[in-house]
Amino acid sequence: MLLNRLFRQPGRLLAALLLGGAALAAWAGATTSNARPSLAPTSPLVKPPAAASAPQQEDEHDDSANLSASARRIYDVGRPRLLQVRTLLRDQDSQASVGSGSLVGSNGLILTNYHVVSQVALEPQRYRLNFQTVDGVSGALQLVAFDVVHDLALVRMAQPPATVAARGTFDFRPQATPLAQGERIFSLGNPLDIGFEVIEGTYNGLVERSFLPQILFSGALNPGMSGGPVLDDRGRIVGVNVATRRDGQNISFLVPAEFAQALIARGANARPITGSVEAEMARQLLVHQQALTTRFTALPWRETKHAHYSVPVPQEDFMRCWGSSNPSESKGLSFERSDCQMDTAIFINESLRTGDIAVRHEVYDGSKLGALRFAQEAGMSFRNERMGRRTHDLTAPKCQEDFVENAGLPMRTVMCLRAYRHLPGLYDVAVLSQSVDAKTEGVQGRFDARGVSFQNALLLARHYLQGFAWKRSP
Amino acid sequence: METLALIETLDRDGLPRHVLRVPQWPVRIGRAIDCDLVLDDPHVAAHHATLEMHDDGVHVVPAPSLNGVRLGRAAIAPGSTARLPASALLTLGATTLRVRQPGEVLAPEQRFLDLHQYERRHAVTLLLLVAFAAVWKGFDLWLTTVPGQQGSALAWAYLATPAGLILWCAAWAIGSMLFQRRFAFWAHLYIALTWLMAGTVVETVTAQLAFAFSMPALEKLGRIAFVGAMAIMIWRHMGLLLPQRRRAFGIAITSAVVVGGGLLLVDRSVQQQPLVGDLYLGTLSLPGVRVARPVPVDAFVKSAAPLEKTLSHWAKTGDGDGDEDESDGGEEE
Repeated sequence: MLLNRLFRQPGRLLAALLLGGAALAAWAGATTSNARPSLAPTSPLVKPPAAASAPQQEDEHDDSANLSASARRIYDVGRPRLLQVRTLLRDQDSQASVGSGSLVGSNGLILTNYHVVSQVALEPQRYRLNFQTVDGVSGALQLVAFDVVHDLALVRMAQPPATVAARGTFDFRPQATPLAQGERIFSLGNPLDIGFEVIEGTYNGLVERSFLPQILFSGALNPGMSGGPVLDDRGRIVGVNVATRRDGQNISFLVPAEFAQALIARGANARPITGSVEAEMARQLLVHQQALTTRFTALPWRETKHAHYSVPVPQEDFMRCWGSSNPSESKGLSFERSDCQMDTAIFINESLRTGDIAVRHEVYDGSKLGALRFAQEAGMSFRNERMGRRTHDLTAPKCQEDFVENAGLPMRTVMCLRAYRHLPGLYDVAVLSQSVDAKTEGVQGRFDARGVSFQNALLLARHYLQGFAWKRSP
Repeated sequence: METLALIETLDRDGLPRHVLRVPQWPVRIGRAIDCDLVLDDPHVAAHHATLEMHDDGVHVVPAPSLNGVRLGRAAIAPGSTARLPASALLTLGATTLRVRQPGEVLAPEQRFLDLHQYERRHAVTLLLLVAFAAVWKGFDLWLTTVPGQQGSALAWAYLATPAGLILWCAAWAIGSMLFQRRFAFWAHLYIALTWLMAGTVVETVTAQLAFAFSMPALEKLGRIAFVGAMAIMIWRHMGLLLPQRRRAFGIAITSAVVVGGGLLLVDRSVQQQPLVGDLYLGTLSLPGVRVARPVPVDAFVKSAAPLEKTLSHWAKTGDGDGDEDESDGGEEE
């Protein structure tokens, strides 16, 4: 990738904020900032600068008396059934992070986000879970089941208090009666560990072009509300708080209730998980990557406008592409660039997101440079690609490289793979390919897929490389 | 008159300051003027020691004194004597004497490094080297900048390397001043330029060949060659300072390279990085340079299949955390 003189789109890559996090540290951060360096887990979400200046249209508050009456009702329904889910250090009572949860089944079965309980799931020797109700009852929780792909988890009270049955449970809105866009819905949770809140907002349907379905909710979600239920005006669950956009205002995301119901259906009677969750997590991710790979490779590449090169650019069915170029008055290498990414990445832990695909290319015109300098610049751009290093979660990359030809276009191609150290069978793959056919023009492409099987990594690499071609001038 | 022995009074550098031809035994040594060898050393007694010819050779006989006499490193006990071996070093107070006797086997004649002559002999080569380096640096600068860059910025970039080189050679020349009493700047410049350019040219050529034949190993060899050239360069610099120590310097530099390189290899191996060079060949050259034929996509993808074995092995090994400073993949910058 070009580093020198690279035109950068400001804020092109922005992040979604997951709402679990160490909420306390979010506002007491000045004194305890070292406790959790990244208090807000982020996942890359692509966002145009243009969108930032187009604020969400506020709905009119035409019937405020009625609305506050229903909010009041929601409060009454939600109050006994909402809980705070706390991750505590194993040997002391300090909380590492907090989220919310809702009573959804008998014997203290609680629905929350996977990312609220991820520390306990991954490092049970270091962390434990606790709950606290709005009226102050607390106790230990056990992890029962999780759906890492949709960021959901079921936990159960270890010793349900006798009064738990009297609290009742939340119902789910029947899927036969879907919400209409613009309907009022109510998010419940305990933002920043301050106290129980009901937040009114609007249901805006599903997020467009998202591989994993998410409800777009216009309401102000805050860290600590993760895992809290979102209710319709009759107090039935329609979704689960999960994330918000840092760069937007009141742009929040909910996990649709159907995935929560599916998880409850298979996990409500499960025994608490005591061993490692890694095998089950790998299994779920392998199912996800298979679906993603199948869908992705079934799509044809888009037509590119370049006179000599066909470059693999993905359809925007579940990806978003942003283009950029350097100023035309530049005396050096002119280039155009396209970046395509998925909105959704799957949260595994604070430092690992996976299960997504990114495709990028740069088209170079070195006619102002001449052959030698163009070769130098293009080589520099090829050399400075980052393939990552060994981390806690991933091995170092191992690469295969050669000259590769497809449809008359010779390229220098590098394919690097990294294995997941704790999730057997999963790999990250990066394919970097640069044309070597012309003296003063060229194209560089990069494909990245995270959390795929080895076979699918090869399949995707093949699919990607076959998207390159040399075109005869029209 | 026959010379029975030679007594040299050595200075701190080990060079003779005063030489006494011995016409007869015994020889009395001390501060008093009636001694045969008078030493101007406050740490020496008036009559400090006597050298006498015994049946088995010359002996040193210490007189009573505060600081005594040492033969080599060993102190001679008061009242006893010691026979002098060939070229014996005697220490009396702060003074060192060397006693040479007839019939000693001399070390072979050593080649003299005449720095003057050395520089004159290489003057033309040095001139050519400077010109070559100047052109090379200019070409490199032209290659790595885009048209229309500010002239003064280019000048700074162009002059930084020679400035560094001058400082480097001046530092070595000061070393020569210390040991050879000559500020041998040109001699050191000749050595530095020779090996710097040799290393650079080899590195560049191997990188181009690696691209042409699609053999990344060639580029790695070039990197090793560059390190080798730098090691030789330092060895040659050191050889100019103390020519008689070349062998020892060679051993020292070789061990430094072996130990340093070995540690680096172990470190990279633990980090699961390639032992030498980069993760992949980063050199792209002109289309006409390429000799290797490209492979079809299917064949390329198939050739990556063996990576699975390595990676799954890596996934299971190494418990420690890796570097955590890495940010996600290649999405940024």
